[in-house]
Amino acid sequence: MTRALLPPVWRALPRRALAAGAAAGLLLAGIPRMLPGTPDPLLGLFALRAAALAFALGLAFLLDDPARHITSAVPARRPVRVGLRVALVAPGAALCWTAALLLVPREARPPTGALTLEATATAVLALTAAALAVRRPHVTEPGATVSAWLLATAATAYLALPDGWTLLVNPTDPRWSTTHDRWALLLLTAALVGGRASAEPLRARLRVRFF
Amino acid sequence: MSTVLRTPARTAGPTHTPRPWAAVFALARLEARELRMITSVFGTAILYMVWIGYEVTRQGDFPVLQDVDRDTQIMPMLFGLVVMMNVNRGVLRSRRYGTDRHFDVLVVEPWRRTAAHVLSVVPAVLFTAACVTFQFTWAAVKPGAAGTGSLAELAVGPLTVLLCGAGGVLLARLFPSVFAAPILLVVLLFGMMFVATPAGPAWTSRLSPVVTFSGVSPFPSDMLGRLAGWHALYLVGLVLFMALLAVLLSGGRTTVVKAAVAGSLALTLVGVVGQSQGTPAAALAARERGSVTPEKVRTCVEHGKSSYCAFPEWTSRTDDWAAVADRVQSLAGGRAGTERLTVDQRLDARDGLDSDAYLPPSAEPGHVSVGMDWGGNRVPEFAVAVASVLVAGDEKAASEMCDARVVTIMWMALRGASDPMGSLRDVRLDDSDSGSAFVLSPTESFGMSAAQTRVVAELLKKPRYDVAGKVKAKWTELTAPETSIERVAELLGVPAAGKTTDGADEDGRAGSCEE
Repeated sequence: MTRALLPPVWRALPRRALAAGAAAGLLLAGIPRMLPGTPDPLLGLFALRAAALAFALGLAFLLDDPARHITSAVPARRPVRVGLRVALVAPGAALCWTAALLLVPREARPPTGALTLEATATAVLALTAAALAVRRPHVTEPGATVSAWLLATAATAYLALPDGWTLLVNPTDPRWSTTHDRWALLLLTAALVGGRASAEPLRARLRVRFF
Repeated sequence: MSTVLRTPARTAGPTHTPRPWAAVFALARLEARELRMITSVFGTAILYMVWIGYEVTRQGDFPVLQDVDRDTQIMPMLFGLVVMMNVNRGVLRSRRYGTDRHFDVLVVEPWRRTAAHVLSVVPAVLFTAACVTFQFTWAAVKPGAAGTGSLAELAVGPLTVLLCGAGGVLLARLFPSVFAAPILLVVLLFGMMFVATPAGPAWTSRLSPVVTFSGVSPFPSDMLGRLAGWHALYLVGLVLFMALLAVLLSGGRTTVVKAAVAGSLALTLVGVVGQSQGTPAAALAARERGSVTPEKVRTCVEHGKSSYCAFPEWTSRTDDWAAVADRVQSLAGGRAGTERLTVDQRLDARDGLDSDAYLPPSAEPGHVSVGMDWGGNRVPEFAVAVASVLVAGDEKAASEMCDARVVTIMWMALRGASDPMGSLRDVRLDDSDSGSAFVLSPTESFGMSAAQTRVVAELLKKPRYDVAGKVKAKWTELTAPETSIERVAELLGVPAAGKTTDGADEDGRAGSCEE
């Protein structure tokens, strides 16, 4: 049945939003290479973070399904449908992120493992928010709301997070490793909540009204 | 009979004049209400208010108003960002729900709808203005506030929100798609970060709505040279340009609108040119004058027998300086107890706003330097400077001192403080109260050996009356450079060896001057 579901899900993916996110992310990651002079490591860090945010904003639209009221009647359960969408996009997302990492010149590239953790956590956060949003019965296209939330959260994290909770530091900062413990925790929490949220609401009660 | 049958003539056409703007305002009110009800806007507004509450409690008792006005600018960016996303979604709502074509039967033209969407941001802008006013007023009414705020700097916050709203409407008219706004916004924000870097050319570095820099010490307002007025003009021009362009794009192609778009573009360009001229010559001259010949600028106020010379905006602070200086001087003996001091406020502004310039110690006898900041650690640092001038004669001699006079200086400086041991930790570079360390002062720091620290800490634990008499009685011997630390300890009644051995004392003392 999953195999039978593959072609229609593939066709129903919100390709324009995903492509726009990917294009914007690759454009941002390419900026340090386009600028003249020796690449600045700080610029590489900013470019990669911006790219991660752009990819995540594209992924926020992944669960958009204008025909949701029809597709929800198919025998495949929601975890299968959501999982299929994620599985179809995951290779592309991984490819885009690798390309973004490679686009930043080697001298300006921050530690790739840590940045990948940040990017994954951001993307999973976006998907979790979308999965939570589609639990409400009438929501067909949560992408716009979720992307607004994601951008606002990112701006808040950048501007207003107290020093003790900061998430965005430079690699030279002594807090770099403790911050990444926090990122890993964030990723884990988001993944767990997201997994729980993709179950049918009748099977897993999870009352979160966040918009 | 015929008169009864005559019916009154009816006037054809509308009975009242058409009022197309009434619909615009009604729509703007409705959209403003929609905007207010969105959780992310509401939540960010709450967050903004919480942040202001946190900021005003964290801020010291001695704010400098020309710095406080700039501190109001950052958070409206976040609020504006959220407003922008939601205004954008509001404009596109009819498209998302497929109700665009219903509007064709209404008398409100699309460009009027666009204008209404721009106007729907006004309550959010007023809210920001109220928050900014509160934040600034809170600082301004503190008794220790100095300086003057700039209206142009304060206007940046509300203008940023208005700019974001107009930008959201324009984005929706340019790219009518729900995913365009967030993704374009990320590209725009980070593009701004790459283009408008402080290190870049003058004209690009000020294009961002909020021009930040990390000022180390406050400047008098005539030395700032931030061109805040030009920047506000640039923002006003940009807001008008974006809003009118959105109106133009949605069909308001009248000559008036076209002329207004051209006019607002010209206004923006005038603002850009105005703010790109670099630091104005008047500010540079004021910086030079204030750094090299401050005595021509400062106002001197007499308090008691001493004189306090402050930059004009800081004269209200001389009372606080005088209280500290008198407190320290009351503990001094000999001639120092009645010496006339001159407290000079100094700064070195020649390297610009974001440089932490070093102040050389003054060589004039009886002159004490004080910086532009006050409150917190600056108070015990100033007390140390006063005490060192009273003991050593002038700041230059005090900075070269490496003998037991340090004990007398530190005791005089800190004994009158509300928490002497806490102040001792505050003025020492490593925040310790044992071992050798550097002591901070407004000009040059000086060393303090482990033995001296031990004696000072012992003295600070004793009651004031126990030590004060001994200091006054033995003043000449205590302030003589050749008196050893053991002798000072003996004179002031502190056990000489204490917990440390003599050898360690010798090492510590040697270390204090070699550091």
